[in-house]
Parts: sequence; C-alpha cells; structure tokens
Amino acid sequence: MSEAGRKLPLFDQIIKPEHIVLNNGHEIDRPRSRIPLIIACLVLVIWVSLRATGFNLATIISRAGQLKVILGQIFHPNFAYFPKVVSPLIDTIKMSIVGTVVGCVIGLPLSILASSNINSNHPVLLFIRFILSLMRSIPTLIYASILTLVFDLGTFAGTIAIAFFTIGIVAKMLYESIETIDMKPYEAMTSFGASTLQAFWTACMPQILPTYIDDCLYCFELNVRASTILGYVGAGGLGVLIRERTGLRAYSDLGMVLLTLFIVVFLIDLLNDYIRSKIS
Amino acid sequence: MTELTVMEQLQAEPKNFWKRVLIFLVILALVVWGSGSIHYPGMTEKGIGIASGIVHGIFHPNKELLFDLGDSGVPFLVLQTIAIAVLGTIFGAILAVPFSFLASTNIVPKPVAYFFRALILMIRTIPSMIWALVWIRVTGPGAFCGVVTQSVCSIGMISKMYITAIEDLDTGILESLDAAGCNTFQKVRVGILPQLSASFISTAIYRFDINLKDATTLGIVGAGGIGSPLVQSITYGRWSNVGAFLLALIILVLIIEYASTKIRNRLARGKAN
Amino acid sequence: MIEFKDVSKTYPNGTKGLKHINLQIDQGEFVAIIGLSGAGKSTLIRTINRMIDITEGQLIVDGTDVMTLKGKDLRRFRRKIGMIFQSFNLVSRASVIKNVLSSNVPDMPWYKVFFGIYSQEQKIKALEALDKVNILDKAYHRCDELSGGQMQRVALARTLAQNPTIILADEPVASLDPIMADVVMSDFAKINKEMNISILLNIHHVDLALKYATRVIGVRAGEIVYDGPADKVTDAVLDQVYNGKAVPKSTDIVTEADAEEIAEVTENE
Repeated sequence: MSEAGRKLPLFDQIIKPEHIVLNNGHEIDRPRSRIPLIIACLVLVIWVSLRATGFNLATIISRAGQLKVILGQIFHPNFAYFPKVVSPLIDTIKMSIVGTVVGCVIGLPLSILASSNINSNHPVLLFIRFILSLMRSIPTLIYASILTLVFDLGTFAGTIAIAFFTIGIVAKMLYESIETIDMKPYEAMTSFGASTLQAFWTACMPQILPTYIDDCLYCFELNVRASTILGYVGAGGLGVLIRERTGLRAYSDLGMVLLTLFIVVFLIDLLNDYIRSKIS
Repeated sequence: MTELTVMEQLQAEPKNFWKRVLIFLVILALVVWGSGSIHYPGMTEKGIGIASGIVHGIFHPNKELLFDLGDSGVPFLVLQTIAIAVLGTIFGAILAVPFSFLASTNIVPKPVAYFFRALILMIRTIPSMIWALVWIRVTGPGAFCGVVTQSVCSIGMISKMYITAIEDLDTGILESLDAAGCNTFQKVRVGILPQLSASFISTAIYRFDINLKDATTLGIVGAGGIGSPLVQSITYGRWSNVGAFLLALIILVLIIEYASTKIRNRLARGKAN
Repeated sequence: MIEFKDVSKTYPNGTKGLKHINLQIDQGEFVAIIGLSGAGKSTLIRTINRMIDITEGQLIVDGTDVMTLKGKDLRRFRRKIGMIFQSFNLVSRASVIKNVLSSNVPDMPWYKVFFGIYSQEQKIKALEALDKVNILDKAYHRCDELSGGQMQRVALARTLAQNPTIILADEPVASLDPIMADVVMSDFAKINKEMNISILLNIHHVDLALKYATRVIGVRAGEIVYDGPADKVTDAVLDQVYNGKAVPKSTDIVTEADAEEIAEVTENE
C-alpha cells in the first residue's frame, strides 16, 4: 500500500525505493539506504577541508618532541611565579563578575521583549531576536579587540565585552524558557486588572527564577574561562600574562598560570553546584 | 484540630525577608568589589571615530574583498574557517571515543575511569587559545594549527557527553542478544552502536557549532581562519575590510547555528526517513 | 448591574460566539449559565470583564460601557470584577498567601511589586479571605502541595481579597470531584449571600446549578433559550437547552477527568 498523497523526499524520487513482494503477497517499498551518499559527501568535505587547511600529519609526528618539551615544562609549574599571577587573576574574576551581572540584568528585560507569549508586538519581537542573534554571533574576543581601541587597553573594555556576549546568551536561554511557562496565572492576573509588567513579574517571574539563576551561573562559568584569554588582545586579566609568557617561551610560568586557573575554575564550579542544589 | 486565628497565622509567617536582603547585599558587594578596579578610562581620542568607522564599515563593506576568490579573500577565509571546524570536530569526535569508554564507570574499573575523567576535565578547562599557543610551536602558524588545536580541545566536551550516553546504555539488550547466540562483535554492532549513534552524532554537530565560533577567533593567535585578518584590519583601522569580515562572520555563524539546531532537533525526534 | 444590549460576538475565523444577547443581571444575583460545550457560555462570561471583546451591541456594567474602556481605565474597571477559572490559574511554585496577596498588585507602586513587599494590612486581609474559605491553616504551604478543591478555594480567596462587586467563574467546579464541587459551590452561595456579590458561573452539573443558583440562564448556539428562576427549570427546559438530548443527572456525567480527580482526592484526604 503506497501513500499516494504524500510527496516522496527528493532522495527517494531520484533513487527509487526497492519494490518488494513478500511471500504472502503483500507489497512494500523499501527506501534505499542513504548511508553511501552520506559517506560520499563526508569524504568530499574532508578532502576539501584537508586541502584548505594544509593538513600534514608528518609534521606532527616529526615535531612531536617539541610538544613533549613544552608540555613537560607546563606540567612543572614555576611556583615562584605565583605572586605575579594573583593580581591579574583577581582582575579576571572581577571582570567576569561585573560583566556577568551587568549582562544578566540587561538580558532579563530583553528576554521578556523577545518572548512571543508576553510580547504580542511581532515586529518588535523579531527585531529584538535579531539583535540578540547578532550579539551572540560575534565572539567575545572580537568585541574585546574593538573595545580596547574605543576605550583604551584594560579591564573596562574586557568587562563590556563580557557583558555584551552575556546579554546575547542569557536572553536567548531565558526567552526559550519563558515560552514554556504556564500562562494561566498570568491570565488570572490580567483578569483582575494587572498590567502586562505587573502580571509578568508576579505570575511568571516565580516560575522562571530558578532557570534564570541557573542560566546566570552557567554564564558566569563560561565567562571566567572566556575572560582569561581576553587579555591576549589587551583587555586585562590573566590573558596579558599568557601572551607575555608564551612570547618569552617561559612555559613553566605558563604552567603556573594554568594551574591557578584550573583550581579557580574548579572552585567556582563547586560553588555554583552548591548554589544550584540550594535552589532546587 | 484547634482553630487557628488570623492573627496567629500572621505571627507564623516565615521570616525570609532578611535572607533575601542578605543575598541582595552579597551580590551588590561583589559587584562593588568587582568594579572597584575597573576604571572607566574614558573614550580614547580616536574612540568615537573608531566606533563610527566600524558602523560605517559594516554598511559599506569592502566589496572587492568580499568577492575576491584568492587566498586572502573572504570566500576562501570562510571556507578555511569551516574546514578547520569540520576537521577539528571529526578528529575530536573520533579521538573522544577511546577516552570516553576509558572514563565510563560501567566499562572500566573506577580508578581508571576517574584518572581519565581528570584528564578530560583538564583538557576542558584550558581555553582553546592556549592550546593553540602551544601547538603553534609544533605546527607553525596557519590553519593546520587550528585543526590540531580543535581536535584536542573537542575531546574534552565531546567525551563528557559521550560518557553520559555510554553510562545510560541499556544492557538488557545484550542479554537478549546473548540468548540469540551473537558473538561480541555482533553484540556491539547490533546492541550498542544503534543506542549510541544518535547521541554521538548529535554531540558532534553541537560541538561543530561551538568549534566554528571558536575557529573565528583562533586566528588571533595565528591559527588560520577569518580571525587573524579581521583583528589585523581592526588594529590598522581598515574599517571597510572589518565590515566585510564581520559581515561574513555573522552570516556564517547564524547559518551554522540555525542548521545545527534544526538537525539536532530532527535527530532527537528520530530520523524521519 | 450588568446589561447586555443586543450583544453579538463574531470570532476572527467567522464563528459566531454570541448572537443578539439581551440580558439584565441585578446586583447580588447568583446566576448559573448552563448549556453544551461550545454553546457560548465562556464567551458570555468573558465579555463582561472584556477578556473577550464583543463585536456588536452594547455591554454596560455598573454604568460603564465596557467597550469604551482602554488601558488604565480597563484595568481599574477589572479591579471590581473577580474571576475564577476551571484550572485555578494559581502560581503553583508560590505559597498560598503569596497567591492571595497578588490580587493587590495592580494597586501597588512598582518598587513594591518588584520586591514583593506587602503591608501588614494587606496580609491580614489576605488571611481573612483564606479564613472565609476555610483554608487558613494552609497559608504558608506551596500551592502545588494542595488538592484541586483546596486550590480552587485559594483562587476564591484571591478574588475575595480584591473586594469585587461581581465574581465571574468559568467552569469553577469542572475539574473537581462531586463532593469538592458541592463544597466550592456552597462557598460561592455563602459569599453571594453574606457579601452581596453578584456571581455568574458556567456549569455543566445541572443539579448543582439548580441547588445553589437563584437564576439559571440556558445558552444554546450563542443564543439565550431559557432565563428564569432555578426552581422553574423543568425537564422540558433542560431538553431545550441541551438541544433535545435527554438531560443527564449530574451523577451520570462524571467524566473521565472527574474520575481521575476522585481517585486523587480520596488519596489526599
């Protein structure tokens, strides 16, 4: 029995499905496997990619010794270098905190404007979503490298860069969860005279607050990692050291920087997990 | 049950007002502390010029660059950026397979699993830029460095997702295959691969999305792709070039993000053949 | 007083919700609206506080032409009208008292709304409202810990805390088991008598409607086919309202959803 009404996918139109007549007389169409086509495409893509990137396995093998030397130094961190790490590390953390808080605070109203169940003004909704996509598509480092020119080198540019990127992510995650909430309490609030904002804040906010906090913490984790490298383009924090030390090939100093980073990230993850367990 | 009065209940109200004030104050204190050392340096003299230059550049991109098919033109750089992400993801996804099996507690003994988990955590924590800075000494600058960097970096996150999928494996099916007289290879092929393939592919596509965004910035340290000419143009103030590169980058990222979400949603709902 | 003058409602897709309704409801009446699903009962109720706009005619509530209201005036008008829903429409993650207090929100300055600060006076009023519907002891429980009947009473308390002159109820007992439905209906009757609040409710349970309401309005296909005192409702009237179908007794129309509720409630209580 063939489904006459349904249009066949393009693939099955070109390569006709195999027609099978079973022993008991029933007939079925078995679509041909797409695996060969997928593999062929994959091989082509990989071949083009190898050509475009100048991939050369021999180089890695012949120069693997170099890697061993560098990694060896990184894994023997120069502990004497630690005092020099502290101040940029604190800068990095400060940048992440302020950037995250600013981004999350600005992201909240934007996410409300971007939720189709709260904002019925379609053009505004699409405009806000478009802006949010734009903000997310530009990497933090590109923001930072532009902002260091506009605001001069230093942590201010880094903070703004982080805030920009955070707004894009937080608002997107948040409007996706706002669109799944129960709108009935909101309906009730409007039925007894609350304005859109009042109704949203009282009826919807309690529902999204746990998600919101979770999203903020997630962004904070992302931002700590991201802000370590912002200094590479001059936006303050650990990145400045990383650029300087790799430039000087002082890899055991770099090892110290990475070790500290590793511990800090680990501690922050622990703290966030603790906060999350408290909330839920 | 004794009758409660309104006043009694009023007294019984849980007092979490001060708790909230405290949380608010802690966040406030953190922000104040954080912004303490972040001084507003004021716009640089050229600041406003730069800002307007970028806006102007985006609306008037360098068209020559946009359609130049040579090695320094936008089309080739976009292709190269995609190529870095493609190879980085494929190699990373393949390399992650042994790592994730070795880190799954239902496959290997716990001490082994925890050792590999620590290794995976380490790979994940170190930002990809730093990996690139290390690899660049081995491979020299260029797109090749980007590929190697992403192959290694991707292992971290991909393994983490693979491990979850592996530990969720339904082993009941292996018993039924045993009963049907299958050998080990057949059991893996028929009983395990189908369970894992969808989530593995989904993870790889998700990682491709991330790698692509990452590949646009790896160029800053010299690892190829669209990043390094972009940052150079920014530094030298060639705004129409900046406009061309930024435009290409934004469109590229938006398209890939859209496609990746679409494909992953389809995988999650089951392949509609 | 609520006055419908030749009111019609046509939905954007062309469906006629209401057809030339003429109706007058005095302050303090307890009106039950009966009819088949889709007959226009909900539309009729929801036009009164303009949750649904009418397309023709005039609707006057306490001297105000409802369709002339806009923005702030509409919101101020809605303050006097309480509304109860089939699915309670409470913030399930918040505590019972927070839900009741939320009825004060429209009158509060923005910063108090923002931080959720309510005055002592408002809290006492909220607790009194809870006392009136007999669930004072649950004040600090989260709403999702309550049974359906209890949640509907919280919703009723929320409405009472708003000091309405009219309460509109859209299928208030449809998702409750027969026993809870009876309790909630008697709450409505008590409020109607003691506080002289007009009550309009949609209901499928004909016997509950006849037991508690003072006036019954039968709606069929957007038109009023019966309007009169509850004790004059005969089988012939019901026959007409329900389009010639035999009139089921409430005990027979326990739906699947009701059956589930009963099972749940018997577990809970």
